[in-house]
Amino acid sequence: MLQHRFLMMIMPRTKLLPVFSCLMLLAMMSSSPAQPDNPTERISFNRDVRPILSDNCFQCHGPDEHSRVTELRLDSRSSTMGDLGGYQAVVPGNIQQSELIDRINSHDSDEKMPPADSGKRLSTEEIQTLTTWIQQGAAWPEFWAYQPFQKHPIPKPAMQWGNGWIDSLVLQRLTTSQLKPSPRADRTTLIRRLYFDLTGLPPTLQQTRAFLQDESDDAYQKVVEQLLSSPHFGERMAMYWLDLVRFADTVGYHGDQDHNIAPYRSWVIEAFNKNMRFDQFTREQLAGDLLPQPTLQQRIATGYNRLLQTTHEGGLQPKEYRAIYAADRVRNVSAVWMGGTLGCAQCHDHKYDPYTSKDFYSMAAFFADIDDEQHFKVGTNALPTKRPPELLVIGAEDRQKLDELSEQIALAEKRRKPLDKKVKTLEGEDLEAAKQQLAKITARIQKLKTDKKQTESLGQWTMVTQGLPTPRVSRILPRGNWLDETGPVVLPAVPEFMESINVERRATRLDLANWLTNSEQVSGKLTARVLANRIWFLLMGSGVSSSLDDFGGQGKPPSNPELLDNLAWELIENGWDLKQLIREIVTSETYRQSSIETDLLREKDPYNQLFGRQDRYRLSAEMVRDSALAVSGLLNIQAVGGKSIKPFQPEGYYQHLNFPARKYKRNVDQQQWRRGLYIHWQRQFLHPTMKSLDAPSREECTAQRPRSNTPLAALALLNDPSFLTAAQVFAETIMRQSGGDTRVGLDFAFETATSRQPDENEIKILEQLFQASLTEFQSDPEATKNLMSSALLEQPLTSTDAPTMAAWISVARALLNLDETITRN
Amino acid sequence: MNRKSLLQTEQLNAVNRRTFLTRSGVGLGSAAFCSMLAADQPGLIDQPEKNLKLPHFPPRIKRVIFLCMAGGPSHLETFDYKPELTRLHGQPMPESFTQGQPIAQLQGQALKIQEPLCKFSKHGNSGIEFSDYVPWQSKLADDICVIKSMVTEQINHDPAHTFMNTGTAISGRPSLGSWVTYGLGSETENLPGFVVMTSVGGRNPQPIASRQWASGFLPSRFQGVEFNASGDAVHFVKNPPGISRPAQRRLIESINQLNQHRNRLLHNPETDTRIAAYEMAFRMQTAVPDLMDLSDEPQHVMEMYGAKPGDGSFASNCLLARRLAERGVRFIQLYHRGWDHHGDLKKYMDICCGLTDKPTWALMQDLKQRDMLKDTLVLWGGEFGRTPMFQGKGGVGRDHHIKGFSMWMAGGGIRGGHAYGETDDLGYHAVKDVVHVRDLHATLLHLLGIDHERFTFPFQGLDMKLTGVEKARVVKDILT
Repeated sequence: MLQHRFLMMIMPRTKLLPVFSCLMLLAMMSSSPAQPDNPTERISFNRDVRPILSDNCFQCHGPDEHSRVTELRLDSRSSTMGDLGGYQAVVPGNIQQSELIDRINSHDSDEKMPPADSGKRLSTEEIQTLTTWIQQGAAWPEFWAYQPFQKHPIPKPAMQWGNGWIDSLVLQRLTTSQLKPSPRADRTTLIRRLYFDLTGLPPTLQQTRAFLQDESDDAYQKVVEQLLSSPHFGERMAMYWLDLVRFADTVGYHGDQDHNIAPYRSWVIEAFNKNMRFDQFTREQLAGDLLPQPTLQQRIATGYNRLLQTTHEGGLQPKEYRAIYAADRVRNVSAVWMGGTLGCAQCHDHKYDPYTSKDFYSMAAFFADIDDEQHFKVGTNALPTKRPPELLVIGAEDRQKLDELSEQIALAEKRRKPLDKKVKTLEGEDLEAAKQQLAKITARIQKLKTDKKQTESLGQWTMVTQGLPTPRVSRILPRGNWLDETGPVVLPAVPEFMESINVERRATRLDLANWLTNSEQVSGKLTARVLANRIWFLLMGSGVSSSLDDFGGQGKPPSNPELLDNLAWELIENGWDLKQLIREIVTSETYRQSSIETDLLREKDPYNQLFGRQDRYRLSAEMVRDSALAVSGLLNIQAVGGKSIKPFQPEGYYQHLNFPARKYKRNVDQQQWRRGLYIHWQRQFLHPTMKSLDAPSREECTAQRPRSNTPLAALALLNDPSFLTAAQVFAETIMRQSGGDTRVGLDFAFETATSRQPDENEIKILEQLFQASLTEFQSDPEATKNLMSSALLEQPLTSTDAPTMAAWISVARALLNLDETITRN
Repeated sequence: MNRKSLLQTEQLNAVNRRTFLTRSGVGLGSAAFCSMLAADQPGLIDQPEKNLKLPHFPPRIKRVIFLCMAGGPSHLETFDYKPELTRLHGQPMPESFTQGQPIAQLQGQALKIQEPLCKFSKHGNSGIEFSDYVPWQSKLADDICVIKSMVTEQINHDPAHTFMNTGTAISGRPSLGSWVTYGLGSETENLPGFVVMTSVGGRNPQPIASRQWASGFLPSRFQGVEFNASGDAVHFVKNPPGISRPAQRRLIESINQLNQHRNRLLHNPETDTRIAAYEMAFRMQTAVPDLMDLSDEPQHVMEMYGAKPGDGSFASNCLLARRLAERGVRFIQLYHRGWDHHGDLKKYMDICCGLTDKPTWALMQDLKQRDMLKDTLVLWGGEFGRTPMFQGKGGVGRDHHIKGFSMWMAGGGIRGGHAYGETDDLGYHAVKDVVHVRDLHATLLHLLGIDHERFTFPFQGLDMKLTGVEKARVVKDILT
């Protein structure tokens, strides 16, 4: 089947059809029967047939064993095509012998399917669809994503190209389509690509030049190793992970108050930097609290379970929100680990995938022990709001100090109690003395409390998972209706069509984490495929399967299944070592190809699904910002992790927020120049520049951000004061470097922004811009002054030659807005 | 599209604008506007998706103005007169109504009947009933179609808004305006196709999230753009200090030249789009201030709305809505908040109606006078209504209510002077001709020439629709 799809994809249908007749296709495809030769009439099992069976038959012949009345399961191929005692429900290609057709066409009320009392009825079109499907061979494609895999043998390369198994598999696929790989990209492009992909930052001029000058054989490998061990590697990977798990600084619903979660982000960065194995990474997030004697870090990691949107709005109905939260968690865990859309089974069995409604609620039951009950009651309209249980993350010394202070406060309060009584009973001098004593001790308590608060402020609170002693009862909600409590109670369980978790007791989140990463089972293999596909996407621009978020029946099968399987196999074989997988990909020749499209590639593989070239795309929102700040020299990368920051945003942007009304207090110090991933993520009003560059609101899992190209983004890059300040500071450097020689300045500026040297044409355009700007600013001191004094700096920009500096600002703005500057290729 | 220099584009726009003003000076050449109903040249950036083959059938309207009364105005004090409530005032609410129903803040409290806090009277030839809170809207009795049988599925503000705008409470789905501009594009090259404004004034307002105008899984160029009354109307639309308009033009031209030069080598279509985006950004830098500058509005128009430039009021936003409509913006959404009257309903209805009633009438008047109402849909309503039961946070008020409430529609293709649907005697359940939010969406798309069943976008393996998987119907009875 897969093979067939590829042929269809690569070869235009008009060419394909005359060449292959139906029969020839049949002969070609060993495992799957014929498809009709008219594409408009081709019945797709997943698209056309399964929904009919699901809607009309699964109730009695489906996955739900409670309502199944016979052995026949129409959700299972083997049962549908199997022997039912001398006859079969479906005999591929043979309508006469297919009992199913007999029964749905029957006029005998005892025979007729679906039975009248079921309230179901097949329309004429639906009967026709089922009939045609059987006529056409009753294709029942297996879900590729749920198949176990082995390491595929590495083909012998058809040409002298490549340096390993990745390249061989890519080359084989290209060769099948009469395509060739692209030549290697130039070294400037390569180092720029590596820096952006592995750290999210552009290389500095020095880093680029050092690489260009390094003629040793392992020059490239050295950079790879250096970047993989850079602390910015973790930041770069975290940017993606935080999108998947919908990390944000605010609760999302209603008042969208801040909640405490920053330490979780630090933990993610650190985990990637330490190259924590992905199975452990999974366990700590889903169930760190259930590990034996969990460490502080492991408890911070459980913040994952708290990342969903929450509310404490007056008038909330706890039952309703328990249902909403449960669904949110199921959607996320299935999207992040399983590439699944299990969320679709909230109201009904999944229409295309073998997920049942029961699977949905059984999955939700894993999370039924998470304490959401507290914040329904104690959530406040304060900033941050209260979202217990929370943990104070603080250094060991400060922790000790806090403990001591708490002890002292308790002690002092113990001593105050009798004094309180005394002042009420005593008289005269005794009273005075007692009063004095009381005043003294009250002051002391006050001071201790202030100290305690101050010490606490050195730490950061963060939401964690703490299991309730008794998990909430989980039931199937009929049609997703939380008011309907007639559905059966379910226990934590994984989807029934996959291998189950075998424990005697109630299964836990830890069991789920282990199941998700159990590489012996389909579940772990699925996770490996999903993850490997996403890593490939991060480094090649699109996934081997282009549907990063849907590995179900409606998703896109991988364009190169052997490649995806081997990537996943490699990941598992190396013990879920992400750095190793990344290393293998970036050192491949496939990765190092040029991104320039040839006409042939553009025609035959416009979306680069076969990877005959590298990809070219705009940097992510965070990277656009980081890049501008890095080029200018403003970027503050002293620390990794930590609290969220608030760079400039337009006045009044939060005016529609309320409970409480919001005043945005931006960072005016160096904090404002930290990397984009630390920007305060206000779910309801994400920073407008980030939003205009497609950063998601993080209400739901985002596996692939859109890459848009809008006037709003242009306005932000042109006029956002943070970007302007970057241009201003960049201009200062350019002017210094130029030593009064415009050409020197232009060369320096261009190379710093794009990593390459400009050509004469480019110099000419920039020179004209520089000269025209200079003339204008020379004749308009007021404008010059206004421009110079607008930087968001603690010390204003100064220059003895302000008009020249202002002209350089124009050049710097142009360079920071260049397509090339904000593109990774 | 031919690449023009920015200067040329600017000159061209100046000419267009002059032509435009001349037209509007004589009451807007209706013939010219009518012709746009057929096939319009869409803007470059907001152009619709090419393969959609829209409209499915001839549209009745070209644009939508949605007046969102956020917080949930009481239907029982505006358009839905229930004398039974007066008769039974103070008595316990019959359990037959409330048993098993979702309840918001009144959970666990005794539920008693609250009579209307105002008088009702019949208006116009149609004889539609209006409360005395909305005297100006009552003048529209023969223009509007009041739907008294709305139902929704979400009882808290934020999800209810999400439901009203996207047809589901699950976040990450596109809003109405995004769907519409995705399908039909915009008629302006200088402004976004989907514009949102939120007015100030009134009770401590409910928050409103930008997800209400998000494009969800649709391409992000279709997201609503918020225009602000104070500060920059659009974020970063103003040049930095000290940068003149010619300087900005020079800068953008240089950027585009450099991009073009580089692209001769790369032939990257995305770079071409970026060049176009920078051009439109530059045009927006003139078009937006021009839109917001009300100095060309005659005094009598300002007075009709009660608008004061830059005050951010609903009145000013209504006037801006008309200006946006004139300029070819496809979907205009005005939020007015403060309708959440759990208590002191009387006082706050006075305030909210005081701020919105007359401007709403003025907008309708203005559109009529300019002959624009016939191809505009004006939609008025909140995310839900309010309970027939008493709530007393402060003075007398009412809680959130989703099983029956009122909205109204007017304009192209709508049967004016018509009340549709009914709630029961106590104004609790919509019982006759029930209109679900999905039906409202289907009807709105229908007016735009779109069959909601065929208007889909592939996402996560499904063909997603604004109206979702449940059945939705076009409410044909309210159409002419």
